[in-house]
Amino acid sequence: MTGILSLCDNKIVQYLCACGKWKSIYRLYLCRHCYKIRCGDCVLHEVDSPYCPNCLENMPSAEAKLKKNRCVNCFDCPSCGHTLTPRATSQMVSNPDDPGKSTPKKMFYLACGFCRWTTRDGGIPDKPTVSGGWEDMENPYAARLSSLLEHYQQLAQREKAEKERKKYVRRRSHLMYAASMDKYGMVSVAAKRKGLMPPTTGTLKENEEVTVTILKEPDTTKMHQRMSSVEFQPAETGDLFPGHKHLLIRRSLRCKECEHNLSKPEFNPLSTKFKIQLIAILHIPEIRVVPGAEFRHKKDTKVTLTFTNPVNTNTKIQFLQVEGNAGEEVTAKIDVPKKELVLAHRDDATMYDEMSSQQEFKDDSRSTATTLPSENQEQQTVWLEHRINVNLGTLLQQGK
Amino acid sequence: MEYSLQIVIDFNVKISPGAVVCDESEIIGDVTIGTRTVIHPKAKIIAEDGPIIIGENNIIEELACIINKAPATASPGSRQVMLTSGCIIGAACTVTSSEDLDENCVIYGANCERRMQKEHPPAQTLQIDFLTKILPNYHYLKKPTKSSTPQRN
Repeated sequence: MTGILSLCDNKIVQYLCACGKWKSIYRLYLCRHCYKIRCGDCVLHEVDSPYCPNCLENMPSAEAKLKKNRCVNCFDCPSCGHTLTPRATSQMVSNPDDPGKSTPKKMFYLACGFCRWTTRDGGIPDKPTVSGGWEDMENPYAARLSSLLEHYQQLAQREKAEKERKKYVRRRSHLMYAASMDKYGMVSVAAKRKGLMPPTTGTLKENEEVTVTILKEPDTTKMHQRMSSVEFQPAETGDLFPGHKHLLIRRSLRCKECEHNLSKPEFNPLSTKFKIQLIAILHIPEIRVVPGAEFRHKKDTKVTLTFTNPVNTNTKIQFLQVEGNAGEEVTAKIDVPKKELVLAHRDDATMYDEMSSQQEFKDDSRSTATTLPSENQEQQTVWLEHRINVNLGTLLQQGK
Repeated sequence: MEYSLQIVIDFNVKISPGAVVCDESEIIGDVTIGTRTVIHPKAKIIAEDGPIIIGENNIIEELACIINKAPATASPGSRQVMLTSGCIIGAACTVTSSEDLDENCVIYGANCERRMQKEHPPAQTLQIDFLTKILPNYHYLKKPTKSSTPQRN
C-alpha cells in the first residue's frame, strides 16, 4: 500500500512552487497561461457538485445542504465506517388468509462486509424492501436546535443588513464594535464563566473503597464510533445506529493569478476523466535519482539522474548553478554539466515496439548531473525555469 | 533438507473426508482438519510446537497463516489460541495472544479491533458448497487420510 503513495510524496526530488513551497512533482500543477507552477495550497478550490461516493448520485448544492450533505439511500457502518450493503433473508410469515400456513417472505437488513455489523446487532427490525424505509433516530434536541437555527438565521440577516448600511456610513467607533460584539448576549455569559471556580478534586483517604465498573471492552464503543454520530454518542455497542453516508464533492481548481482553470473534472461522478487537467507531471520532465551513489566527505561523487520527458516534442534542458538562498539547505558543491541536453519526445509506440527505440541523436552518457541543479525547459518558444531540490542521500561515515 | 522434513511430518496431517484442502497449501506438522472445511491454495498451517486442530465448516482463505509456534523460552504448546464457533478473523488481522476467543467474535481492521456479533453468523453452507465445487476444477486436492486414527511413527 505504501508503494505508490510514498512515491507521490517522496522528499527526494522536490520542485519549488510559485508560492514558495517545495513539493513533489506529483502534487503540482502548471498553469498554461501564466507558466507558473502551482500547488494545492495556492489555487482556488471550487465546489462543482456534491455526490454520494457509494451510489454516485449527483445532487445540487442546495438540495445537499437541505439533506445535511448526506446521501438519502446509503448508510455507513456505525462500527467501522465502511459502507453498509443490504442483505436478503427469507422469513416465515403466517398467512393472514390461512393462519395455519406460513409463507416465506423476503426481508432485508443492512450488513457491513468489513466488521460484520448488521442492523440486527443494533436491534433494528428487518425491512420488506431493499432500499428502504430505514428510519432515522429522532434527535431529542431537534426542536431546540431548529429554534436556535432560526434565531441565528435572523441574526445573520440583521447583520447582513447592518453591513449593507455600513457601506454608506463610513464612521466606525470602538464603542460600536464592543456593542456589536454583545449582540449574541455572550459577553455576560463569558463574564459569569470567568468567575466560576474550577471543579474541585478530592484525595482519597487511605483504605477507602472505590467502586470502579469497567465495562467489558467489546461492549463499550470507541471514541470514533461515538463521534461518528454526534447527536447520540452511544456508549454501548448495542446502541450503535447506522448513519447516512456523507457526500463528497467534485471540485475544480483555478489559478489564483490568471483565474484560468487548472483542473476541471467531468460533471458526471461516474467519469474519472477531466475536461481540463494541467498537472505538472504532463508538462515538466520528471527527475529521478539513480540510487547507489556513495558520498564521502570532500570527495567527488558522480550521481546519475534520469529525466523523463512527458511531452510530445523534444525538450532541451540546461542546468544552472543555484546559490542557496538563506534558509535553504545546500550541503554540497555541484558541478552541473555545461552542455545543453535534449530529451527525446515521449513516444507511446515504443512501449509496444522494442525495435524502434532508436533516436535521431545520441544520448550523451557522460553528462550526468550532481546535486541541486536548477533546470530550464523549453516548451515551444518558452523557457521555463524551475528550482529543484534533490536530496541524494546521506554522507557515509568516514570509517566505512 | 527442509523438503524431506516436510514429507516425514506430513504423515501427521489428518484430513477428514469431505474437507477440501488444496494441494498448494502448506500444511506441516500435527494438523487435524475437520469435515466440510475448505482450505484455499495459498493458506499456511504450520504446527511447529504443538497440534493444530481445525473443526468443521471452516473456511481458511487465501494467504491465511495459522502457526503454532511457542516462543523459545516457553514450554511447547504454552501459547494457544482457541477459536470458538462463529469467530471471524478479518483480512490481515493477527491473533498472537494466548486466549480463548468468545463466541461470535469478529476481529477486523488494521488495528485488529474486536467486536461481538449479537447473532451467530449465518451458516456459510452456500459458500462452502460453492468452493467445494469450484476449487477442484482448478487445483489438485490433498487426499483425506483413510484411517480415522492415524499411525504415528
